[in-house]
Amino acid sequence: MNRRAVIRNLALVIGSATLLPSCLKNGGTPVVALKHLNINADQEDLIGDVCETIIPKTNTPGAKDLNVHLFVLKMLDDCYTKKDQKTIVSGLVEFDNMVQKRYNQSFGNLNEKDRVAVLTGIEESAKKQNKAKAPAGRNTKPQKTVDANPLFAFYWAVKQQTLFGYTTSQYFMTKQIVYELVPGRYNAHFPVKNLKQA
Amino acid sequence: MSANTYDAIVIGSGISGGWAAKELTEKGLKTIMLERGRNIEHIKDYVNANKDPWEFPHRGGRTQEMIKDYPVLKRDYPLNETNLDYWVNEKESPYVETKRFDWFRGYHVGGRSLMWGRQSYRWAELDFEANAKDGIGVDWPIRYKDLEPWYGYAEKFAGISGNRDGLSILPDGEFMPPMDMNVVEKDVAKRFKDFYKDSRNFVIGRTANITQPHYARTNCQYRNKCWLGCPFGAYFSTQSSTLPAAMATGNLTVRPWSIVTKILYDKDTKKAKGVEVLDAETNQTYEFYAKVVFVNASTFNSAWILMNSATDIWPDGLGSSSGELGHNVMDHHLGVGAFGKVEGFEDKYYFGRRANGIYIPRYRNLNGEKRDYIRGFGYQGGGSREGWSRDIAEMSIGGDFKDALTEPGAWTMHIGGFGETLPYHDNKITLDKNVKDKWGLPVLAFDAEIKDNEKKMRIDMENDAKEMLAAAGVKNIQSYSGNGFLGRGIHEMGTARMGRDPKTSVLNGWNQVWDAQNVFVTDGAAMASTACQNPSLTYMAMTARAANHAVEELKKNNI
Repeated sequence: MNRRAVIRNLALVIGSATLLPSCLKNGGTPVVALKHLNINADQEDLIGDVCETIIPKTNTPGAKDLNVHLFVLKMLDDCYTKKDQKTIVSGLVEFDNMVQKRYNQSFGNLNEKDRVAVLTGIEESAKKQNKAKAPAGRNTKPQKTVDANPLFAFYWAVKQQTLFGYTTSQYFMTKQIVYELVPGRYNAHFPVKNLKQA
Repeated sequence: MSANTYDAIVIGSGISGGWAAKELTEKGLKTIMLERGRNIEHIKDYVNANKDPWEFPHRGGRTQEMIKDYPVLKRDYPLNETNLDYWVNEKESPYVETKRFDWFRGYHVGGRSLMWGRQSYRWAELDFEANAKDGIGVDWPIRYKDLEPWYGYAEKFAGISGNRDGLSILPDGEFMPPMDMNVVEKDVAKRFKDFYKDSRNFVIGRTANITQPHYARTNCQYRNKCWLGCPFGAYFSTQSSTLPAAMATGNLTVRPWSIVTKILYDKDTKKAKGVEVLDAETNQTYEFYAKVVFVNASTFNSAWILMNSATDIWPDGLGSSSGELGHNVMDHHLGVGAFGKVEGFEDKYYFGRRANGIYIPRYRNLNGEKRDYIRGFGYQGGGSREGWSRDIAEMSIGGDFKDALTEPGAWTMHIGGFGETLPYHDNKITLDKNVKDKWGLPVLAFDAEIKDNEKKMRIDMENDAKEMLAAAGVKNIQSYSGNGFLGRGIHEMGTARMGRDPKTSVLNGWNQVWDAQNVFVTDGAAMASTACQNPSLTYMAMTARAANHAVEELKKNNI
């Protein structure tokens, strides 16, 4: 664990704050000081790659640009029970092995098309088995119980927190939709077309 | 006058304590307000009120550490990252659950007036008559007409926004302009009217959020962050409303960190001469003296103080002569309702975050209807659109999915019931002397539960919710019905009830303890029944009425 840099300034994971030089590890990727979740740097990277595949960089920023992957790690670290964390981590291992076996390389080295195929494959089979509901709503709580199937548990947890992190990010709330801390008024007939930022 | 002598002592600084302090000081009484917890200064101490959602490390969520530290609070919505400091430290202040009881407390200046739900409804005539009519508990010693002028008085000062709906079951008040219903709620209201005529009603909530500037307070800014404390003072709280009024008189002293451990009873005068205070910071004990004592420590803590004020004359506590002190624990039972999707209105949204919803007043067991239970229930709810991170059926990940997240989801409509709980003598709290809090004081043990009447009512609450949503055109309706544990309504009532007879009640019709008539209890402890409306407005009115009476009686040297 001690090979990983420690981030003292949690502001890093809660916004688009500038990265502190001391928080960079060899590859230049910031890592979060995890207190509860027992994963290594490669596994952290894998989670980041899954986040980025869910919310990719297009003509607008992706999950990694917005440090959503760090938020996901923080939520996985702080907001899940030990038991759920164990399930999620074993799902992470299963995910990694599955990808290695199928593609003979790691998820991070796959092209985007293959990454998307891997994730949608999991999502579809999970939905088909009705094993878990897709993470729904703008929920401030983690799912009450994570899926018993480790692979699904891993995927849903990362997806849910990615969406939660992305849609509550400063970027999304100020650049994608209209958000005001002090609206000052209630317009009960607000047209949807005015909802997005121009 | 010695340094520790005042005209009046007010125990507690929440909704009713703040009102007692305001009324007593405005009538010229030198008053000390004793608050067991820390001070929270208006605006300055609302540390999270101006944060954006992304500034919270877990975006407002709950961590495992919080869940471990707050084993009671975690049972429902109050446990969250944004206002954790406003909730009681459960390790310092434990209690015993003989039966499960969800007790959500706030120990600081302002009490739960900072975190309350703000829905403000008058009771109706029939609510005060119900006990006598049904032969349940004791008859209320007051009627609607006794409280009516005080309701108006409280509303005008607190600032209640609402619509004058003209319903006898939910009397109109002195309202500020109502908040708007959104397009879906307006549609539901119209369908309601068409379907139920006037037998059931769907109205905008009446809330203690001001919609016009009021005294030094700014009107609601539609942030919907009320429970963080409002920097605009736009909702009624001790800090925004009653405290500044009381301070302006020059007659008020506020003393935080002051745990009142007992009321000092003088057996010769048969009155209280003051209170004993344990300083929560220094553990020093002090006595304060006054001609009149208002007990507003929050329902169960008010009863705790009375119970802990045992003397050789009253071994079970002050006000215990009837045997009803600590009994008749009540709350509204909730956690029953339904929700579903509303089709259409895709081009409409709303702007601003309205700190209010809609209300469906009671309609059961009225006009001669007789269900297999007595009394009734109301619903709160609202229409809204699903958020950005909903599940999108055709897409699960990727760039198009990311873009689709900026579109709002389907409209949904939700209603949740609030049911009346009857007073049962065996629903009780007692002092448990084997368990001590951080200060070595005995704690409360709760032994209360909903019974047959409430359980039968909950069946209607669930079925009616489904039926009404269906009548309103809502689709994919799902209903729910939880376990109905008491406490989580946070509408704590009973344990020192008012009545007409000292043999069966703790307080008289003016909220005076029968056994010590210069002691007034004007918070939820005084309630003889619960009705189904949110109770805080009634505490405000009752407190102002009792304070007025106290001053009149002092002038006449009657107390």
